[in-house]
Amino acid sequence: MKSTEKEDQKDDKKQETKEEVKKEPPTPLAEIKGNFVLIDRAVSTLEPRFTHRVLKTLTTLVKKIDEKIIRNAIEEVYPKESATKTALLSWLPASPSEDVEMQIESSSTSTTTTKPAPVTTEPVPEIDIYLRLLIIHQLLKSTGSVSEAKDLSVETVKKMQALNRRSLDSIAAKVWFAVERSFELDGDLAEARPLFLAAQRTAALRHDDDTQASLINRLLRSYLAYSLYDQADKLVSKTTFPVSAGNPQFARYHYYLGRIKAVQLNYSDAHTNLQQAIRRAPPATLAPGFYQAVHKLFVVVELLMGDIPDRGIFRHPVLEKPLKGYFEIVKAVRTGSLSQFQQTVLKHAVLFQADKTHTLITRLRQNVIKTGIRRLSLAYSLISLKDICVKLHLDSEEDAEYIVGKAIRDGVIDGRLVHEKGWMACGGAGGVKRGYGSEVAEVFTRRIGYCLELHNQSVKAMRYPLNAHRKELADAEGAREREKELAKEIQEGDLDDEDLGGDF
Amino acid sequence: MAQNQLKSLYNDLKRSFEAKPFDLKKCGSLLAKLKIGLIETGLLIPQGEHNIDDLVVARDILEIGAIWSIRTRDVPSFDRYFSQLQTFYTDYSSVLQPSKNEYPIRGLNLIRLLTQNRIADFHTTLESLPIPADAIADNQYISHPVNLEQWLMEGSYSKVWNARERAPVEEYKFFVDSLMGTIRNEIASCEEAAYESLPLKDALTLLFFNNQSELLTFAQQRGWQVDLSRSLIIFATKGEEQAEIPKQKLISSSLAYARELEQIV
Repeated sequence: MKSTEKEDQKDDKKQETKEEVKKEPPTPLAEIKGNFVLIDRAVSTLEPRFTHRVLKTLTTLVKKIDEKIIRNAIEEVYPKESATKTALLSWLPASPSEDVEMQIESSSTSTTTTKPAPVTTEPVPEIDIYLRLLIIHQLLKSTGSVSEAKDLSVETVKKMQALNRRSLDSIAAKVWFAVERSFELDGDLAEARPLFLAAQRTAALRHDDDTQASLINRLLRSYLAYSLYDQADKLVSKTTFPVSAGNPQFARYHYYLGRIKAVQLNYSDAHTNLQQAIRRAPPATLAPGFYQAVHKLFVVVELLMGDIPDRGIFRHPVLEKPLKGYFEIVKAVRTGSLSQFQQTVLKHAVLFQADKTHTLITRLRQNVIKTGIRRLSLAYSLISLKDICVKLHLDSEEDAEYIVGKAIRDGVIDGRLVHEKGWMACGGAGGVKRGYGSEVAEVFTRRIGYCLELHNQSVKAMRYPLNAHRKELADAEGAREREKELAKEIQEGDLDDEDLGGDF
Repeated sequence: MAQNQLKSLYNDLKRSFEAKPFDLKKCGSLLAKLKIGLIETGLLIPQGEHNIDDLVVARDILEIGAIWSIRTRDVPSFDRYFSQLQTFYTDYSSVLQPSKNEYPIRGLNLIRLLTQNRIADFHTTLESLPIPADAIADNQYISHPVNLEQWLMEGSYSKVWNARERAPVEEYKFFVDSLMGTIRNEIASCEEAAYESLPLKDALTLLFFNNQSELLTFAQQRGWQVDLSRSLIIFATKGEEQAEIPKQKLISSSLAYARELEQIV
């Protein structure tokens, strides 16, 4: 007791001298401490809502903090001789003596201002894990300490699993992200896979939706990073992505699904998934990397489906520059010029390689040819195979004949080949006939269905404030009362009327 | 089975595999014995740490097995060997020296997928190859199936036909033959749509037949009319498809709209 008193005194003295300099409170530290309170409340009230609020600020907080702030936070929240505290502090680099002094000072100021009584009880383990999460992110900031971050993340995971507390779940989801990040930066993402798989199994058994969603995305990412599309596809078919997962997780999941489906030539599904990913993604300015990556793939998939992407995408301030190569591809496909297409692919090969879209783009070759043939069939009513060959830069007339034949069979163009004369006769007006058919009706049904679905979903998604109906009930009660009164009055009025009537 | 016995069997297999003419039967029986040996030593589907030399031997055995299955025209068996080899190619790629047979076998697998018309699997496999996409053109074993796929998709069938002689490994030809059957049918269905009539002589070259009798039997199979006097093939023109109004569907969807609208209003 005495020693603490002494220290308090000393602190007071120091505080006085430092008062001027330390006018404004250190915001990140205050934020961390505010978060401790929230976590504590979340644990005591069993309300995950508070934890969610803490985690929402994680990314912005991580950018602001440094080692000193974390150390101060640890010093404050743990009692003097706590094993957890020393364990936590051991992960932070040893501070020079000057730093220690600073730390005592700042901690003292905030203790005296916000918490007069020194902490004596051990805080909840959730706070420990949360601090570990912060430390991992801090260690990941510099390339030198990545392996430390990896060690810490593995240890944290072990600790989390040993604790086995449901109130930890949402923090755990974030910890898994940190685990992945540290393994990835260290260059051996594959090593973390067994860890993820085991944890995924447990999470699924416990219906721990947050962790499960996070882990499925981790696994997909790790599979796709090594181009293991088969395994990724199997994982997707064997797991169900929790519906209650947050939008960022959903956005990622849809993006990975889009990647898998695009590789499997299932372009229309890939298109829907990528669209979902774009819709659920955070605003472009907040997470430009994700936004760009999704759009790159989206453009390629749209081209593969035979559509031309919206011109507006390429004017978007976030997308304009990184999508330049893709824009050129779009131009080449649109004009149906095979030589331009091949030049563009060669020119941007490195970019496409890095984006892992190269193989998808080489698949576009046939689309370019088809567009070219379609343009020719619209412009000419008769054209010799030789001219087709020249215009589309095909290798031989023989090839041209087969290619046109295939295009006719696939319904790309309406026309006939006349082999003896070596020309293609185009149907010309044939295209107009198919104006209204069952196809149009189907498209109409699909669109209407979509609108109705949207309407129903938004009705379902409407939220009503809790207990609002009570007020309404009270209102109804009041209304009934008033009605009664009114009725009474009317009755009386009637009487009055009668009376009046009687008078007259 | 003792380690040395395995070794001697392996040497036996290697010798008979490299011998010319190649003894299919002997290799088959040796492979069966060796596989049992591999299972006993836990090398068939290795897990964890193993002696590198042992792994190389196991991989060699499986590679020989894969090639042997192609030579015996046993595609399912090739499939099995290939899946077993996957472990060596992916999981142990950091430990083992790359095998010179790896890419030929991967290429064979790609062609197999192509002939079975499993295009989606073909692309998935292609995507998961450990080489960068722009290096594919430089790898003759992989570029061959990749080019075939591209030509098939765009319809340059003559290129496919010409490429059959340029197979990088003898074994590719086994698949190329069955591929020819596929493209012949492709071409035939294109011709049905694209031509009204076609002289026999030209049909012969278009379909890559060597003589007229082959063409005539093929035409019979597909139900084409052959006019021998004018030496023409006449393709039956399909009558205008009668557009039928899907009454049931229209009614039910209209009713559904009405119901939904009622809910909204």
